[in-house]
Amino acid sequence: MKKLSLVLMTLVATVFAGQSFAGDWSKIRIATEGAYAPWNFTDSSGKLVGFELDLAADLCKRMSAECEIVGQAWDGIIPALQAGKYDAIMAGMSITDKRKKVITFSRDYAATPARFVVSDKSAMANFKTGVDAMNLTEVDAKEKAAIDDIVATFKGKTVGVQTATTHENFLREYLGSDVTIRTYDTQENLDLDLQAGRVDTALASMSYWVPLFESDKGKGMTMVGPGMTGGPFGSGVGVGIRQKNQDLADMFSKAIAGAIEDGTISKLAIKWFGFDASSKQ
Amino acid sequence: MDFSLLGFGDDGWGDEMLRGAVMTMAVAICSYLLGIVIGVLFASLKLSRLVVLRYVADFYTTTVRGVPELLVIYLVFFGGGTLLRTIASGLFGYDGYIDLPLFITGMLCIGLSAGAFSTEVIRGAVLAVPAGQIEAAKAIGMSTAKRFWRVLVPQVARFALPGLGNVWQLTLKETSLISVIGLVEIMRSAAVASGSTKEPFTFYLLAAFLYLGLTSISNRGFVRAEAWASKGVRYS
Repeated sequence: MKKLSLVLMTLVATVFAGQSFAGDWSKIRIATEGAYAPWNFTDSSGKLVGFELDLAADLCKRMSAECEIVGQAWDGIIPALQAGKYDAIMAGMSITDKRKKVITFSRDYAATPARFVVSDKSAMANFKTGVDAMNLTEVDAKEKAAIDDIVATFKGKTVGVQTATTHENFLREYLGSDVTIRTYDTQENLDLDLQAGRVDTALASMSYWVPLFESDKGKGMTMVGPGMTGGPFGSGVGVGIRQKNQDLADMFSKAIAGAIEDGTISKLAIKWFGFDASSKQ
Repeated sequence: MDFSLLGFGDDGWGDEMLRGAVMTMAVAICSYLLGIVIGVLFASLKLSRLVVLRYVADFYTTTVRGVPELLVIYLVFFGGGTLLRTIASGLFGYDGYIDLPLFITGMLCIGLSAGAFSTEVIRGAVLAVPAGQIEAAKAIGMSTAKRFWRVLVPQVARFALPGLGNVWQLTLKETSLISVIGLVEIMRSAAVASGSTKEPFTFYLLAAFLYLGLTSISNRGFVRAEAWASKGVRYS
């Protein structure tokens, strides 16, 4: 059903992907999900808040553009961009080759490693590999051993992951034949099943886990294994933009580079994530 | 469950969820009324003597009832705005950003589907009125308008109400599908609240109660309406 609806959506959106209203970018419409704390979420007064909301405000000032933020469900956030509902996506979206086939991206503004999480009563609660962090784009011998270690540890287990994410791509590519993959439409539904023991482990971004563990909703869960970036996880998180609006992507890239250089993004990342998730120059 | 999350005002999500419920009701009522209008129109097309009109109505009910509602929503959501902009720039040379408001998009989608189901309900109800009654009304010299209002309408209402009650419940629940386009009704409020507080159980359970409340209250309304429409009937 999920797959089918994604395919249908993409078809429909491609058919209608029409004209650009380009040229001047004094006004930019930016879409966000509004339900992915702490990247972007909604406070109890109904206001959109989060790392990306603060960042968008800063970037728009640098581009001297007037920005309007729209809330959009994650399902269909790319097709609606294609259909011209808005001009840019800032929704914790990783830059991947797959997505690059349909949209273009600004340079990355944040990069957070992916980590496995298990119940602290699980036999895997102390699982560690020879490396603490690895980049899957180029794998050395030590990292290769760590990957084999991950495969051996989770063999035959059920792994939960949010659907249509880079984390799902990683599981399919590296663990597809060894584990049972269960996909979820939201991270919250996955958390529920992890707590209920219906999945043995869950894979998601550290930027999601760290704030969760700081609240009491992360009770009884613990992060295991190395932090993973690169490869199927893509090259960080960037602003998604229609391919024909490369000029807008370049504007964003320039503004982001400025915000990285003067430390604005580091400051915002520490404020929202509790660790420096900003991209480096 | 954490009930402090459900407070009103800036500290709690109670007011957001309630606003979602009001939006759900607003979309459901507007779509339902649109559906009834479409239903009456297409039921009369289906009962028309002209083959062409019957085919048009058949095409509508077959496609809309046979295509997933979600797909209809995507078609209107992605296609509606593009169509509007094409018309605006083609006919009026206006190149700015225009789009169908989310509410109208949602109402059109749900209303289209409610219309297809109501068409069949109303058609069945009209056919359930015995032909002899119309003939009798003609025999005593009633005009067409009088036959329509005094003989047909009261009985069609009585036959159609149980089926239309079902259509209402379907419509109310189908509104949850339009959360995918970002219209903030019960489902979207619940998804946003649970994503932001990491308390999915609290908010999805609350959403379930809200739907249950809305459907059971409106169900009572339909029971009353059925009793009213059947007041001239004696059950042995």
